Amino acid sequence: MNATKILDAKGLACPMPIVKTKKMIEELQSGDILEIHATDKGAKNDLAAWVKSTGHELLESSEDNGLFKFWIKKG
Amino acid sequence: MSVTVKTAQQIFDQVLNKEELFILDVRNKDDFKDWKIEGKQIDHFNIPYFELIDGVEEIMDKIPSDKEIIVVCAKEGSSKMVAEMLSEQGLTASYLKGGMKSWSEYLYKTEVYSDDKMKVYQFVRVGKGCLSYMIVSGEEALIVDPSRFTDIYKKAAKDEGVNITHIVDSHLHADHISGGRILAEETGANYYLMKSEGAIFDFKALENYNKIDFEHVSLEVIAVKTPGHTPGSVSFFVNEKVLFSGDTIFVSGLGRPDLGGKVREWAKDLYDTVYNKVSLITDDVIVLPAHYADFEEEVNVAGYIGEILGEIRKQNEMMSNQSESDFVEHVAQSASSETPPNFEEIIAINRGVEEAEEEKQQELEIGPNRCAVHHTN
Repeated sequence: MNATKILDAKGLACPMPIVKTKKMIEELQSGDILEIHATDKGAKNDLAAWVKSTGHELLESSEDNGLFKFWIKKG
Repeated sequence: MSVTVKTAQQIFDQVLNKEELFILDVRNKDDFKDWKIEGKQIDHFNIPYFELIDGVEEIMDKIPSDKEIIVVCAKEGSSKMVAEMLSEQGLTASYLKGGMKSWSEYLYKTEVYSDDKMKVYQFVRVGKGCLSYMIVSGEEALIVDPSRFTDIYKKAAKDEGVNITHIVDSHLHADHISGGRILAEETGANYYLMKSEGAIFDFKALENYNKIDFEHVSLEVIAVKTPGHTPGSVSFFVNEKVLFSGDTIFVSGLGRPDLGGKVREWAKDLYDTVYNKVSLITDDVIVLPAHYADFEEEVNVAGYIGEILGEIRKQNEMMSNQSESDFVEHVAQSASSETPPNFEEIIAINRGVEEAEEEKQQELEIGPNRCAVHHTN
């Protein structure tokens, strides 16, 4: 997937992955895709819930050996 | 204004003292709905932390200025952030150290019973509604239904100057990971469990014991040992004074039968236990269960979860004068379709079939226990 930007949130604990995601997505244009890398397990549920409340779209997520990746399209 | 940090123990002490608290819970709505810090004097407001990243101005009208404010989240980080924001708005706020994870793991110890032969302590896992016990006699201690926080029992034994020599599990737990096997390895104590529960590690099968005796204690194993299927739960009758009822009898109801998928069979065993075994026990015996549903409803004036059998008989019409078929029907109908979170994996770990790292164990256990059938429902 072609991400417009990549956010490295590895090693960050809650709430920082979402705080950073929010900041970075504010800099993007509607329709742009942000790819997020995180290691905090809680980020998975929180990002899904956050996306729902904001009107962005979680296109895809993956998990590999403790590394979570998310692709969010800005609404 | 400053931000302070509170431990699970400090907050639970406030719950016990019935202090008025306002809890701002910043976890996801689903988590909040699932379980939270309970108390009659507690008001809650739930809003996920990610809706507050830009500030708390929009919820300021929801926050009282005349109550103590405690912010809680899953692990701590977000609650600290939100507490700091509240502080910038001029409020005094604290946050829960370690978040709901630490709430789930906190155990409160209280003395239940004492005579010249033995002393009994109850350990209340307030975040989950699980109860475990220590019976102290002479230089030895027996632990009933230990949680996986084995250091707590070792410390309690050390404080009493005794050695843990026996450990019993009343049943194979579905809502939390048993500390029995680890505690036995750490202390060299004997670990007893019903063989029919399917554990695959080394233990002493309760089927082979009618009694466990140590120092001045005689523990009678009360079980309906129906061959060929899971008996559900065993009770322990100690010195004819105290009945550890496991998952059969609770202060406010009876055990839930549905986890084995054999509702009626289980309910029939429960009937046999209640009508043929427990019926022989006198009213003045103290019943100490393995779970509770509502701390403030079930805690007694002495400050522990438990009740004399006579009182439970009075409050619960299912305990006497029911036909077997009526009883089975009632228990079967009260079986909830809601299961404890992750119960299949927890059972597999307690059988020794699966292993899990500590972090995984924490995750599996988080949430409510949902083990008690509520008679009043």
